[in-house]
Amino acid sequence: MRDHYQDFTARGAEIIAVGPNDIQSFQQYWANEKMPFIGLPDPEHKVARLYRQEVNLFKLGRMPLNSVLDGEGRIRYIHFGASMSDIPDNETFLNVIDQLNASSN
Amino acid sequence: MSTTNIITPGQFAPDFELKDINGISIRLSSFRGSKPVVLAFLRGFM
Repeated sequence: MRDHYQDFTARGAEIIAVGPNDIQSFQQYWANEKMPFIGLPDPEHKVARLYRQEVNLFKLGRMPLNSVLDGEGRIRYIHFGASMSDIPDNETFLNVIDQLNASSN
Repeated sequence: MSTTNIITPGQFAPDFELKDINGISIRLSSFRGSKPVVLAFLRGFM
């Protein structure tokens, strides 16, 4: 999503990334990778638990969970990753956002 | 063993507040009424 962030902002959307790492790791990663969007460290897994993000039992870390919320905060798309690499492509997110924008006009 | 996903499309996303990498509190519901949000939960990086 980093390399296509402009495709999201051009559609009026924001990206928020919640992760299990602590704030120092986040700061380092965000700087190294030049991440342009909001990064929220959740080292206590409070929000991950709230959303039932699944723990990966075989490796450290969590299974990817991706969602799109409309302008009112309702979930319009959600994908619980079945593996560590099970992440929808950008087109999937952008199509959902395009549909939201089309229906709100 | 299968787990039931309680988060389903159509419902309001559960609200939360976390500090961002700059220590600024971000509340999810503050985006309501303004813009679509892609909410991504990362795997975690080393």
